[in-house]
Amino acid sequence: MDDMDMDIPDPDELQWLEANSNLHDDLDFDDDFQPPFPDDDDHTPTHTPPIPQSQPPTRTDSNKRPQSPPPIPTIPDNFASEEASRKRSRIEPQVVVDEIPANTSANPAAAVAVDDDEDWLPPPVHQVPQPIEEDEVPEETIVSRYASRIDGDFVPVTGPCGDRVYAKISRFGFDDSTKKNKLHSNEYSNGLIAEPVSLLMQRVEQDAVQKALLESFGPEGDVILPKVPVINEKLWVDKYSPNSFMELLSDEQTNREVLLWLKQWDSCVFGSEIKTTTEDVLSSLRRHTSVAQHQKANKSYIGKNKETWQNKENFREYKMLDQENNDSKGTQDLGNRNRKGYATPEQKILLLCGPPGLGKTTLAHVAARHCGYRVVEINASDDRSSSTIEAKILDVVQMNSIMADSKPKCLVIDEIDGALGDGKGAVDVILKMVSADKKFNTGKEQTHEDQSGKGSSKKKSRDTSLLRPVICICNDLYAPALKSLRQVAKVHVFVQPTVSRIVNRLKYICSKEGMKASSIALTALAEYTECDIRSCLNTLQFLNRKKETLNMIEISSQVVGRKDTSKSFFDIWKEIFQKKRVKQERKASSGCKNVWNEFEYLHSLISNRGDYDLVMDGIHENILKLHYHDPMMKKTVKCMQNLEVSDIVHQYIMRTQKMSLHVYQPAIAISIHGVIAQVEKPNIEWPKSFQRFRTTLMEKVDLLHLWHHNITPYISRHLTIKSFVEDSISLLLHILSPPTLRPVALHLLSEKEKKDLVQLVNTMVSYSVTYKSIKPNLLSSNLRHEVGVDASVLSFDPPLVDLIRFKDYTSSHFVLALAMKQVLLHEVEKQKILQAGINRSVHLTDVCKENKNLAMDKNGINRSTHLTDVCKKNQTMEMDKNGRIQSSRSHSVSVKKAVDVLNPSEARQCEKAAPPVSSNLSSSVNSSVAIKLSSTVSTKKPSRGNFNFFERFKKVSSEGSQATDTVQRRPATSERDSRPFLFKFNEGFTNAVKRPVRIREFLS
Amino acid sequence: MLWVDKYRPRSLDKVIVHQDVAQNLKKLVSEQDCPHLLFYGPSGAGKKTLIMALLRQMFGASVEKVKVENKNWKVDAGSRTLDLELTTLSSTHHVELNPSDAGFQDRYIVQEIIKEMAKNRPIDTKGKKGFKVLVLNEVDKLSREAQHSLRRTMEKYSASCRLILCCNSSSKVTEAVRSRCLNVRINAPKEEEIVDVLEFIGRKEGLQLPSGFAARIAEKSNRSLRRAILSFETCRVQQYPFTNNQLIPAMDWEVYVLEIASDIMKEQSPKRLFQVRGKVYELLSNCIPPEIILKRLLFELLKKLDSELKHEVCHWAAYYEHRMRLGQKAIFHIEAFVAKFMSIYKGFLISTFG
Repeated sequence: MDDMDMDIPDPDELQWLEANSNLHDDLDFDDDFQPPFPDDDDHTPTHTPPIPQSQPPTRTDSNKRPQSPPPIPTIPDNFASEEASRKRSRIEPQVVVDEIPANTSANPAAAVAVDDDEDWLPPPVHQVPQPIEEDEVPEETIVSRYASRIDGDFVPVTGPCGDRVYAKISRFGFDDSTKKNKLHSNEYSNGLIAEPVSLLMQRVEQDAVQKALLESFGPEGDVILPKVPVINEKLWVDKYSPNSFMELLSDEQTNREVLLWLKQWDSCVFGSEIKTTTEDVLSSLRRHTSVAQHQKANKSYIGKNKETWQNKENFREYKMLDQENNDSKGTQDLGNRNRKGYATPEQKILLLCGPPGLGKTTLAHVAARHCGYRVVEINASDDRSSSTIEAKILDVVQMNSIMADSKPKCLVIDEIDGALGDGKGAVDVILKMVSADKKFNTGKEQTHEDQSGKGSSKKKSRDTSLLRPVICICNDLYAPALKSLRQVAKVHVFVQPTVSRIVNRLKYICSKEGMKASSIALTALAEYTECDIRSCLNTLQFLNRKKETLNMIEISSQVVGRKDTSKSFFDIWKEIFQKKRVKQERKASSGCKNVWNEFEYLHSLISNRGDYDLVMDGIHENILKLHYHDPMMKKTVKCMQNLEVSDIVHQYIMRTQKMSLHVYQPAIAISIHGVIAQVEKPNIEWPKSFQRFRTTLMEKVDLLHLWHHNITPYISRHLTIKSFVEDSISLLLHILSPPTLRPVALHLLSEKEKKDLVQLVNTMVSYSVTYKSIKPNLLSSNLRHEVGVDASVLSFDPPLVDLIRFKDYTSSHFVLALAMKQVLLHEVEKQKILQAGINRSVHLTDVCKENKNLAMDKNGINRSTHLTDVCKKNQTMEMDKNGRIQSSRSHSVSVKKAVDVLNPSEARQCEKAAPPVSSNLSSSVNSSVAIKLSSTVSTKKPSRGNFNFFERFKKVSSEGSQATDTVQRRPATSERDSRPFLFKFNEGFTNAVKRPVRIREFLS
Repeated sequence: MLWVDKYRPRSLDKVIVHQDVAQNLKKLVSEQDCPHLLFYGPSGAGKKTLIMALLRQMFGASVEKVKVENKNWKVDAGSRTLDLELTTLSSTHHVELNPSDAGFQDRYIVQEIIKEMAKNRPIDTKGKKGFKVLVLNEVDKLSREAQHSLRRTMEKYSASCRLILCCNSSSKVTEAVRSRCLNVRINAPKEEEIVDVLEFIGRKEGLQLPSGFAARIAEKSNRSLRRAILSFETCRVQQYPFTNNQLIPAMDWEVYVLEIASDIMKEQSPKRLFQVRGKVYELLSNCIPPEIILKRLLFELLKKLDSELKHEVCHWAAYYEHRMRLGQKAIFHIEAFVAKFMSIYKGFLISTFG
């Protein structure tokens, strides 16, 4: 290597870059030129003041050179050092080789390398500053020490010192020109001196700074980091989660009931042997739950410690028993498990519900473990599609693990209400299993035993009965997805544990973690989080990590995360209507800030809930029932105006879809709060009236629509639903039940009265109003109660009366006597039937005429004349459109033919049927033909000339479909061989008397 | 058959009330130059009657032969196809429909039906291509989109299809549509006109009308001809030889509003307001438009009010009606008006009576 270097002309830069290789050269030189040191010393003061500055840190910092400092004072033994360095020089190359890779790879090594560079850099520049010299010298002693273990790794560390020495010497040597080696290096150093000194210095400085930075960070991180995560890696929530039943924070009674329920599975899961013991356990558990209740009642004076102690006592025995159970059964009873007992609890599913952070999941896990189950949890993060979940549940519930030491499994489905769409899958599967189970149990009792063996597994997978306890956990019991589950499951609602209990636990944890927290602050925290122990712990851990202590102010400030819970609507309305007494007191002390706090609170409350529409509805619904002092109605006006604004804003948002404007809605509610909030507790109802109003309105509009469609178009087109109630309904009802109409038999009526009656019937028909018998109980509260004595009461068929039936209002409408109504009903039906015929025959005739019975006469007219009649009518109507008639003549011809074809059969019918029927029949035939004709004439579409004859019939029938059933019955008799028909004979109410009845009798 | 329908004029010649309008329409038809028409006016003024008479004038009696059809349309709307259903009345010459029944999809209906009509144009006797008439009711309830889509189709298919639009208030019809139509305002008939009509009917029916009786009915009718004729018939049904002081039956809802008004006058308190709310709900749920309730309530209140308060109350009624139209839940606004009135009235009472 030396040679190589010597040969190289002097590529200064190159050498600079390959600092390491240079280094070695230098080291080599070291050997010879230790002596000239003193000279160097002379020079040193002049140059390189910065170097010492930069170097000290490097030296102190570099781990590998703790040796260098000590010998500082001892300069003397240069020679020794020389020798040492000589030795070193021999070794150096190897070391260097070692070093290079180290440079590239490891960081500390790199740092060292940098050191080396730097240390080395200065010497070629000039001379080593004195301090360094001194360092250097002492080093030699150390070196000598190293020399003994020179093979060690740290040799390179000392290397740089040697460089320095050498560098100075080499310069000297250049003057003397004693050695070529030096010459070369001198040249090189010369070059350095001349030009890049300043540059070099800068670099040195930079490097030093970098190094300093690096070291200030690096080592610290190395040292501290490994410790911190070790301590805090675990969340406190997990760290201090209860491991045994007794550590549970949740309500004792709930805990026990859960345990009791789980224990009820024992006979099924663990087999019959243990049944006796479990009975004991059960009974004791039962006893203790009652005790627990008792304790709970006495809690106030029993005192905490005592209670817990008692609990411990109680549970110790359970545990013992339990462990016995576990030992004996869990392991081997797999085979005979389901044999006899099979007494699963009535409700096979346990549903735990309650707000988050109360320990539902913990309870489920702990209790299940306590009872000797292995907990299998399915939660919201798992795949919840019903197919996968079914497989999973089946695995858990029906399979037994082969491993000898395995425990039976207990399924815990967490957050079952979480995702509605997916969560439903789980619920469905469970429900299916439960229902299958029920069927199974009730269905076959004896085959059941056979099946309970191993061989039955196949069959069971079909039936999927529940053989293992399933615990479901949810936050919202009334989530729609859980509706059906709620009915079959045993439901336990978690109540908030007492604050003191939580505070005790928190205190314990704080003391264990060495965190200072006053119990007042902890209480405040617990209250703030609504006894959510999880969020309490997270907050505490967070603060602890930040090295802060918990204080009251933080809790209410944003430092401690507020739980993002949305309260129920009732709570929101309550908050709006109710002023908090405490707050009021506080308001006196610190006015403005508290108002602000209250605002903030309400704002977040309302905006968290969303659905402002409903919030406002609730306010509107309840606001007038509050007892606020408002003599001049000023407050009410204000509130109403606020509600108006909210409605307008809402409408605007809906129309323009500017959802961002929703942010102003909470403020409206808050302003209402400001106006009317009272201390007294409001009595709040769910806003139903608006919805009720909406539905009744829809119903009535539908009713009117339906009715509107039934009225013949030439009347209905002039009526609009909107204005009908406004300006017609009352009058129409008056007209429909005239007080002048005497309730007597028809033939007793005078001529004028008859005319009135006909008029009335016509009106009813044209407005498609009729009477219908309805049950009296529906009428109990309405207008017609005076008539309601009869078993059935006739009422208007479209219940038009409903439209004027307002609450607390009795209308002055006259009500017809029942007999009159019956007469009217009869007449109307008759009229309808008649009109149906007329409608068909004279579709084109004037509407007024149509309603008069004149048309009856036409029945007698034979077909041909009728046809021509119709044709004539058409012609008169469209005299100027002869061409069209011409074109349509072909159709009429075809129609005639068709009629002829039909004729024979009809003729036969006529003969058979009674005379009136025949006339009726002919009229109907005529009418149908007439319609056909008119339609062909009126369509005016020559292009459709080859229209199918029967299609025209279809049209006719569709046209006629408006007629009522009774109307259709009679035409049906006439066309009976074209269509099959059916008689319904309902004379009398009993089957006892049977007599033969001929069809003819019906037809007559 | 009610008199309203029985004596409805069937041709433009027989029109009694809006004779001038009828004559103008007749001229339009005779000149074979029928533009698109927009009829607007309050309900009961005779818009539909005039339209039907006009159609008859155009096409003759065959217009009256109509059939009810439940039409289905399949409309391609971009990515999906819409299934629309609407009841139409159609004769050979015209189609009548109520597009607002289709809700927010009304624009498809309007376009579809116009295109359909344009496709098969009728040919008149002289072999010339005629046109069909599309009568659209309640155009003011038509969505904005439908109205926009209407204006282009109106122009494009004007050769084959004339539109007759009918609505209560032209203000809700877009300017663009209004400018493409000949606007015909059918105002509510004057009371004298109503009296004329009633007397005409009385003559036809051969009734003895005591003097001033028709005027009384006309006065009570709120200038709605339909209502006047209906109450006339009611009177006839209830008691024929008319007496001069015969009771003219009132509308039930109006009586109910009167009750509400007297409730308000009797007591002004949140509790009373709550009762009023229940009654207003009753009215609303019986298909009575909120604007009409508010208006009627104002009238009833004004009757009983001191004259110096009238102006203020009217102002507030207008204010709240405006807000009601901006908003969605009419009950809020009616109630706000009642509350405001109560507040004003109570203040007034206290200041006058100490």
